[in-house]
Amino acid sequence: MNLWVSLVVLACWLGWADSANGAGGWKVPAVMKKLPNGLVVVVSEDHSAPTFGLCIAYGIGFRLEPEGRTGFAHLFEHMMFEGTPNAPKGTFDRVVEGGGGSINGDTRFDFTEYIDTAPVSALDPTLWLEADRMKTLDFSPANLENQRKVVEEEVRVNVLNQPYGFFYAIDLPGKAFDKFPNSHNFYGEFKDLDAAKIQDVEAFFNHYYAPNNAVLAIAGDVKPEEVFAQVENHFGSLAPREVPPKPDITEAPQTAERRFSQQDKLARVPALAIGYRMPPRRSRDAVTGALVGELLHNGQASLLYQALVKDKKVALEVNGGVNFVFGTPFEFDGPTLLTSFLVYPPDLKENDVLSAYDAVLSDLATRGPSPAALERISAKMRSDWYANLEIPVSRASILAHATLFDGNPDRVNEIPEELERVAPQEVRAFAGKYLVKANRTVIDRVPAPAAGSKNAAGEEGAH
Amino acid sequence: MIPRIPGILFLLLLIPGAAAGEKEKPLPKDLPPYGELKPFQAPQVAAQQLANGLTLWLVPRPGYPKVAFALAARGGMVADPRDRPGLAQLLADTIDQGTKTRAARQIAEDLQGAGGDLSASAGYESIVVSTSVLSDQAAAGLTVLADVAQNATFPDSEVTLAKRNAADRLQQQEADPFFLAGRALGKAVFGSHPYAVTSLTQDSIAKATAEELRSEYARRFRPDQAILVVVGDFNAAKMAASVESLLGKWAAPSTPPVAMVEKPTSPVPHFVFVVDRPDSVQTTLALGAIGPTQSSPDYAATEVANAIYGGMFGSRLTLNIREDKGYTYSPGSGLAVRRTAALFQTWAPVQNAVTGAALNEIAYELNRMATTSPSPDELVHAQTYLVGNHAIDLQAQDSVARSLARLWALGLPPEELGLESARISKVTIKDVEEAGAKYFPAARHTVVAVGVEKVIKDQLAPFGLELKPAP
Repeated sequence: MNLWVSLVVLACWLGWADSANGAGGWKVPAVMKKLPNGLVVVVSEDHSAPTFGLCIAYGIGFRLEPEGRTGFAHLFEHMMFEGTPNAPKGTFDRVVEGGGGSINGDTRFDFTEYIDTAPVSALDPTLWLEADRMKTLDFSPANLENQRKVVEEEVRVNVLNQPYGFFYAIDLPGKAFDKFPNSHNFYGEFKDLDAAKIQDVEAFFNHYYAPNNAVLAIAGDVKPEEVFAQVENHFGSLAPREVPPKPDITEAPQTAERRFSQQDKLARVPALAIGYRMPPRRSRDAVTGALVGELLHNGQASLLYQALVKDKKVALEVNGGVNFVFGTPFEFDGPTLLTSFLVYPPDLKENDVLSAYDAVLSDLATRGPSPAALERISAKMRSDWYANLEIPVSRASILAHATLFDGNPDRVNEIPEELERVAPQEVRAFAGKYLVKANRTVIDRVPAPAAGSKNAAGEEGAH
Repeated sequence: MIPRIPGILFLLLLIPGAAAGEKEKPLPKDLPPYGELKPFQAPQVAAQQLANGLTLWLVPRPGYPKVAFALAARGGMVADPRDRPGLAQLLADTIDQGTKTRAARQIAEDLQGAGGDLSASAGYESIVVSTSVLSDQAAAGLTVLADVAQNATFPDSEVTLAKRNAADRLQQQEADPFFLAGRALGKAVFGSHPYAVTSLTQDSIAKATAEELRSEYARRFRPDQAILVVVGDFNAAKMAASVESLLGKWAAPSTPPVAMVEKPTSPVPHFVFVVDRPDSVQTTLALGAIGPTQSSPDYAATEVANAIYGGMFGSRLTLNIREDKGYTYSPGSGLAVRRTAALFQTWAPVQNAVTGAALNEIAYELNRMATTSPSPDELVHAQTYLVGNHAIDLQAQDSVARSLARLWALGLPPEELGLESARISKVTIKDVEEAGAKYFPAARHTVVAVGVEKVIKDQLAPFGLELKPAP
């Protein structure tokens, strides 16, 4: 490949070698302070627009929700928007939207986050509201009933009424892992959602929604010292609480391939989900894994797109990566998968796709990637990573997660360099060690035969 | 079973809903007040034109080390031949599958090495090819983009593969209730107008040829009918020189450019269109009517009215059918603006058993906007929401590039980015009342319901509207 030579020549010709700001080494500022009650505050100053983005990430996700209460962490997240004794239901969105901003929240494996963005004139009331709902909630059975219905409609719209029904995100971890925390349906079985009581909401709040189990990150048109003072003012009086210890969520090693087939009443085109168990996140292999996930799946230049969609024509779409659909390959803190989600032509069979897929992986394990391919993907990942840090609201979120998991907001500035240091032989070794059949789970999801036909039985089988 | 007086009962049957959120409670006494609102600076656009007619809008913004490019060519789905609905989508799918000097794979790899992807999408008025790359690789990004805009070859083998994949993808999309609802609503509201088209059809895919794509590309991609928007960390003079060197020799043909589409007129009869989707566990409701264009004097007031009605989380519709009744997770409404008309849509995926009740509440909220005044608090809340969120959206480079390319396709100047907020700030209660009366009456809106046919028919029978299969 002479791509890099030709680009350097081109850059000189166009007179861009002295471009306004080189992309390498761009860093976002991040100042951290811990309040006496344990709340960690991170501020990233950026005066490019008179706005702020705020994220409070609590160290509890759906992984650790109680058995018999699948979907509860997410249902609880909804209850955080249902008001408090001081600020009744509707106040939060009225104040932030009425101040020119918007609010949101989401629940992942290992954190739940609450996000606000608005003109900076709305920062102080927003901080007050966040502190207010960290103190206590309006534990109202009527609001719980309302949000149970809303969440059940959310499950219907995103899972039960959609072709494929998120099987690559719900069923795949369900088959790949054995312990309840890692394998249960995080969106929730309706019987469990229906069984949730207001006492469960109160207990969950008391256990996990403590200042010492949260990181508050703010990015935008602010000065760190002023924000620290405002936060101290609003959150300083909250008392720390004992947070339940994290149970052992490590899995016994997988020793054999797991294969399943499913029928889908709504889908009209078949799809495959393949998941490989990944190394623990705090390891050198985890960085290599993140890169391998993108090398395989990121865009039309990816290895799988080129092989399966273009060369062998056995797939329509290729998607995936480490921690696929739950965020970046750095935002989790427990067993996770490198997932491939492949939609394939209806006239083909599972093994047509799998054999082409396996050829890509075995090539990676034997020959490794070309240095040029590695340079390309690390440039792409640097660029994608910067995109996470561009606007205040997503920067606050990424900073909060890095601080929650690594205690160090500056970690967000280290990731592009770590990715750039991954060597071809590391990728080859990684593929040989982790991307092997004994470490994977495969689900083939095919359209169910039309209703009334003789074969319309059997939702699921194993083979 | 099916009454024959469309529209009338739809109004009479209205049962006032709980009117959640109508009376604003006082705010908590300790809540600190808002600070002083700082003025927003709309992106400053340096507009120029090359000798060959190419429009160039540059927005240099130092700091964040990336550059976003969007190149739009006039002639989206409205320019497709009548017997090739959606052809512009296939053109967008294949435009990056080879140039005179680069194979598809090299296009993808060159851009990946610059930190980008090529994205090509077909709207109604234009086809937009865009990428976002690291700023020290901006030359590489622009080089590939310029090559694709001028030298795409549509190789036979790539078109054959794209056609097969498009056919399978269409089959897959037809499993998605939102796709089905959007397709039916487009046809129901716009009839035979090109704005009715939302996707390719199996027939247009089957009949399309590589030769046809090449000639459509030559007809639409010409410098005097195209714009390049560049936003990000670059030196404006150097960028302009690079654009000149890479796109300055692009020649415009002497053939006439793609014609503008006429304004859709036909008022639609007020039916409920049913799309049967067996095994659905929800009914996906979509309502639509023709709305104002962005250059209409009604536009700002309609945006404000829409925010109050269904355009934000604290809207009446969300407070009513989600936060009060729990019928749906994701209700909403909005204006999809095109050059000669907008589609004003409401959507709500609801549990089967409340299909009728949810439609009743949607009609109630539409008519409440049509017949009553917003409170002063609601007005200010919606205005601040729209102005603030507009500024927040324009923080991202990609978003600025896309917004500017969209304005150009609508025939609007770059200053519109700032003017829109200024107009919203001036909207009065009377303006909202007038927009409400003009665009919101439920009887103006066509209803599409995607779900189990029997459920929908039983649930909607009391409305006395004629139920028809989707067009």
